[in-house]
Amino acid sequence: MSKLSFRARALDAAKPLPVYRNRDLPDLGDCVSINRTVPQMPTGMEKEEESEHHLQRAISAQQVFREKKENMVIPVPEAESNVTYYDRLYKGEFRIPKQLIHIQPLSLDNEQPDYDMDSEDETLLNRINRKMELKPIQFETMVDRLEKASTNQIVSFQEAKLLLNEDDYLLKSVYDYWVRKRKNCRGPSLIPQVKQEKRDGSTNNDPYVAFRRRTEKMQTRKNRKNDEASYEKMLKLRREFSRTITILEMIKRREKSKRELLHLTLEVVEKRYQLGDFGGEILNEVTVPRTEKSICNTPVSLPNGNHHKIERKVKPQHHISVKDELHFDFVRPKKKYPKKVKLDTFAQPRTDRQSAINKCDIKQYDFHSSGEEDYPQVQSPLSEPDEETDPDGHFAFRRKAECQYQAPLEEQHCSVLWHHPELAGLEALHHRHCLTVLSVPPRCVGLARRRVGRGGRVILDRASSEHDHFLKQLELDASVSGASSRSSDITDTSRFTSASRALPGRAGSLQDILSNIKACRWKLFRPQPKAPKDNEHESETSKAGPAVNAGLSAATVTLLNTSKNGISGCITEQQFQNHQQQLVQMQKQQLAQLQQTQPSERPAQPRHPSTQVRGPSGPTSKTLDSASAQFAASAVVSSPQTSREGKLHAASVNGVLHTSGTSKPFHTTSVTLSNGQVQLLRTVPSSVGVSGGSSQLLPTLYTASHQSLPGPGTTHLSGVTVVSPVHLPLGVRNSAPSPSALKLATVATTLDRVAKVTPSSAIGSLSRETNEPERLALNGISETTVAMEVT
Amino acid sequence: MADTLEVIEGCRLPVLRKNQENEDEWPLAEILSVKEVASRKLYYVHYIDFNKRLDEWVTPDRLDLKKLQLPKKEAKTPTKNGLPGSRPSSPERDVRKSLDLSLQTPTAPPRGKTVPTPKRKAESVSLTTQVPPVTSVPSLPGSTEVTQASVYPSARDSNAFTPKSNSRDDHDQLSVTTNGTSRRLIPSQPGRKRKANCVGTDEDSQDSSDGIPSAPRMTGSLVSDRSHDDIITRMKNIDCIELGRHRLKPWYFSPYPQELTALPILYLCEFCLKYLKSLKCLQRHLTKCNLRHPPGNEIYRKGTISFFEIDGRKNKTYSQNLCLLAKCFLDHKTLYYDTDPFLFYVMTEYDSKGFHIVGYFSKEKESTEDYNVACILTLPPYQRRGYGKLLIEFSYELSKVEGKTGTPEKPLSDLGLLSYRSYWSQTILEILMDLKSDNGERPQITINEISEITSVKKEDVISTLQYLNLINYYKGQYILTLSEDIVEGHERAMHKRHLRIDPKCLHFTPKDWSKRGKW
Repeated sequence: MSKLSFRARALDAAKPLPVYRNRDLPDLGDCVSINRTVPQMPTGMEKEEESEHHLQRAISAQQVFREKKENMVIPVPEAESNVTYYDRLYKGEFRIPKQLIHIQPLSLDNEQPDYDMDSEDETLLNRINRKMELKPIQFETMVDRLEKASTNQIVSFQEAKLLLNEDDYLLKSVYDYWVRKRKNCRGPSLIPQVKQEKRDGSTNNDPYVAFRRRTEKMQTRKNRKNDEASYEKMLKLRREFSRTITILEMIKRREKSKRELLHLTLEVVEKRYQLGDFGGEILNEVTVPRTEKSICNTPVSLPNGNHHKIERKVKPQHHISVKDELHFDFVRPKKKYPKKVKLDTFAQPRTDRQSAINKCDIKQYDFHSSGEEDYPQVQSPLSEPDEETDPDGHFAFRRKAECQYQAPLEEQHCSVLWHHPELAGLEALHHRHCLTVLSVPPRCVGLARRRVGRGGRVILDRASSEHDHFLKQLELDASVSGASSRSSDITDTSRFTSASRALPGRAGSLQDILSNIKACRWKLFRPQPKAPKDNEHESETSKAGPAVNAGLSAATVTLLNTSKNGISGCITEQQFQNHQQQLVQMQKQQLAQLQQTQPSERPAQPRHPSTQVRGPSGPTSKTLDSASAQFAASAVVSSPQTSREGKLHAASVNGVLHTSGTSKPFHTTSVTLSNGQVQLLRTVPSSVGVSGGSSQLLPTLYTASHQSLPGPGTTHLSGVTVVSPVHLPLGVRNSAPSPSALKLATVATTLDRVAKVTPSSAIGSLSRETNEPERLALNGISETTVAMEVT
Repeated sequence: MADTLEVIEGCRLPVLRKNQENEDEWPLAEILSVKEVASRKLYYVHYIDFNKRLDEWVTPDRLDLKKLQLPKKEAKTPTKNGLPGSRPSSPERDVRKSLDLSLQTPTAPPRGKTVPTPKRKAESVSLTTQVPPVTSVPSLPGSTEVTQASVYPSARDSNAFTPKSNSRDDHDQLSVTTNGTSRRLIPSQPGRKRKANCVGTDEDSQDSSDGIPSAPRMTGSLVSDRSHDDIITRMKNIDCIELGRHRLKPWYFSPYPQELTALPILYLCEFCLKYLKSLKCLQRHLTKCNLRHPPGNEIYRKGTISFFEIDGRKNKTYSQNLCLLAKCFLDHKTLYYDTDPFLFYVMTEYDSKGFHIVGYFSKEKESTEDYNVACILTLPPYQRRGYGKLLIEFSYELSKVEGKTGTPEKPLSDLGLLSYRSYWSQTILEILMDLKSDNGERPQITINEISEITSVKKEDVISTLQYLNLINYYKGQYILTLSEDIVEGHERAMHKRHLRIDPKCLHFTPKDWSKRGKW
């Protein structure tokens, strides 16, 4: 083997190494130079200790001599083994057992006191023993107990008495002795103990603290904190997962419903084909009643309940205490709201049912929770939950089997009432009854109040007054021209009830009123559709119309805004943002427009609605959030649906113009609306603030629905007499041209067509048609900026 | 003039001590602490390059003041400002430590380079003149230390001692402590090289990450980095321990209750190892303590030698007492955490009084690093009689039963290294010498085979082969060669080694601790 022109391979632990005796390898010396290719293994000692003198000496000695030399060992401090008293100390013998020793871990001296008497104690013991016997073990037990009882501070004598249960004299002397001794003691305890760690970590580096507890850290893996925060995170995660499960279940159900709908539609189309109903006549014929029925079952119908509550709730507030105040103060209602809820006589049953309601809500929302499309409501499966969760308890409306109920319609939301500030000072009548004008036939019905009755019917309670005569004669166009030039288009199926109750009095002369009306300074309650886009430029209306429009739409926008906020749960964030931006933009434009129109000829009329509507809605948007958080949490609501419904609602708001004698200030209404919502949501009273926004939310908050209608309706309308149900089949059927709503609307239309025709179908279709332009405008307002710009 | 120079902490000077042959020698020593007992000063000295266990309190007459080297760095925290004699616990110390670190680390390297290692002549400090600015200050690991090892003064003239030094005592306000228990700060901690070393260890990163300042790792039983080391733990705190018929001089600090450290003798119950402050207490205790063996299960007995297994979780009191005692003799042992994750194997020798503890080793129930021993100790009275090797052998027997290879936890002490090397050498040589050549072929064996047979971890096998210089590269392959002196040495050693573990006497079933959630 030549000399090392190569590197030796690494030592392989798996490779056999032949074992030689040195004498067998005389030529080994030649190879020595590469012996050291095996890397030096560390000794495992600390570097600086490795170099210690005695160790090195010992190592080298070992290397040299191959064995230990006496004088080369590492010196250690001496140890002696000559304790002379050892045998006396450790008495007795211990015989080694034959078998290996096994001990029971728990049998070890449990009862023995840890304290060991010292010679000082012995003198005391001797002294005591002169009077009475005290065994050392007794003494030790006593001290032991005293010691262990006094952790931070020395136990008092009284405590010691209880602790030891010994003879008084004995106790006293031992206790006193112990106290004295303990005070002189240098350690923390008479029983010497290794210093314990303190929990605050201050002893982390105390060299005398030993045997610290190993914290959880040991059990978890490195770097993973097992602290409270992560525990909470886990809890949160769990909650969120379970919510996800719920949502997925809801989605499942929704999709099932969709499929069902699809099948039904298909069936309808097939049937139509078989019937040869290509023009849709039969379908139209059939549609209306069916629709009503279906709507009746669906959450859409439920806003009635809220309306109903409006009245119920507004009334006490209004008539009893703070009405005047309320007229002026738009913020006020919000503040008042919690109280109102508390005062509410219905609060009790409601709370009882809260949980049930909530569940039901969720189901409802679930049903409509399609994120991308908004199908019109199919046959609602909700009657059961509705009944269960009726907040009106005893007075609940219950459906009968086999019985068709007609749907309350969105138009009924028109009962959002306006308050004319100028009239605030007028007497009570004016707050409740207003000059009402019917669209079809166009005539003035005098003073009436609008409310929603059983099954969502809109009821006009008329009040008779001495001026009725004049009012009826009032030229419609004169009175309403400002509000709308399209009054002739308007169809409204509202019937009215004549109020039996005499009006308490009137302020101002009849002439004044009439002139006011004519000057449009008073508002009329008149179901009125919104102006369609193409109408908006009409010269006559351009002054007032757009203004009103703008005002309203502003309100709508804000309302929508709030509602969006509240229900944004299932909209994607981007959608939401976009929409928000649009809305904000629209609002700005509207405001600008409004201000432009204000100086125009009839500023008063258009302005009022707008300001009033805006008034409450502004502040509400803030407060909505609290409620909306809960809302979003508790329910999954599809945004399209909401917005659409919002539109509908807004439309109806638009449609209703209060006459000058406006009975209901807007804000109170809104308060109640929100009240309804709050109830549904089971939110805290503080969420009342939602008010303005709630007008849109309402459609989504179905629960209380029509069942609750009768109760409050009757309760509050003390003076009002006849209530005749009126159907206002509007709502869903209207197809809206705005891109997003179009689809929905068409679907809705198709659905509607399936339904049978109700008695009021003719009117319904009429109203439908008339409402379409309105819808157009609204859709434009709420959904597209373009439309708004036109306005 | 000489009187103005005072010997303070951090000073270095030759100190008289007797070597094993009972000869005087004057190794260089560092003053770690100064105390005054009965108006006489005592100096706690650490002999440079001697193990800490030889540190001791010396009287001034043993100091060679002529060759005093003052600490280069004056006290950052002036000791004159009435710092309390015994230091309050941790927080300030921690701060101080980090201060020291930050201040010392940057300055250390230049110092180490510029300061020539003082030769014996040069280093002697003239007492009449002021201390030269470049006195060696031992704060740098490596450079000074290693060189000083070679120059440690082995013998000195006795006249180097100056009697003058005594006279200064009364004027010395600086470092008077009233009793032995109170301890002084060493201001600048010269010679505390480990601190400089520990910068940036994972200890530090741990600090920042989990907010618990400087809690050491939770596994293992030994500390290798001494960042927690401070002047208190550097000094022995117990003078003497009486255990059974033995009186032991502790080697290192042990956290026995502080009030007991002042005692001249700490009494331990021989069987339960309870610490007691007086003989009377021990007497009283013995009337109550009926243990005559370690409170565990006997898993091995042959002759008078028995092994008891004690669960650190089930028998905390005993385990802790054992640890406290062991700490007196194990520098690197940490008692920071509880004993729960350890098993203790106590070796005893039986006589008519009972099973007397001879030594023990502890073992992690679950080791992530193949440790089969955490701490291992033969009590001083039994040292150098083969018990250590017996303990080691027993630990490997356990590993064999477990079917694992194992290695002792690091760092090893000097004695530990010697013992283990000795054991490994003998064990491996035993195997190599017993190898029979079948059919004329050279007997051969792999390192892995050795490891499997002995349960000695592969790395330890290699290091031993290397240490014994058995590995050679011959004709393109590694071979093991047994030289005559190795063989002879081994045979001699084996002849002397009569204490052996008999595997047949072991009654041990390993438990799978990983399935027990907790230890």
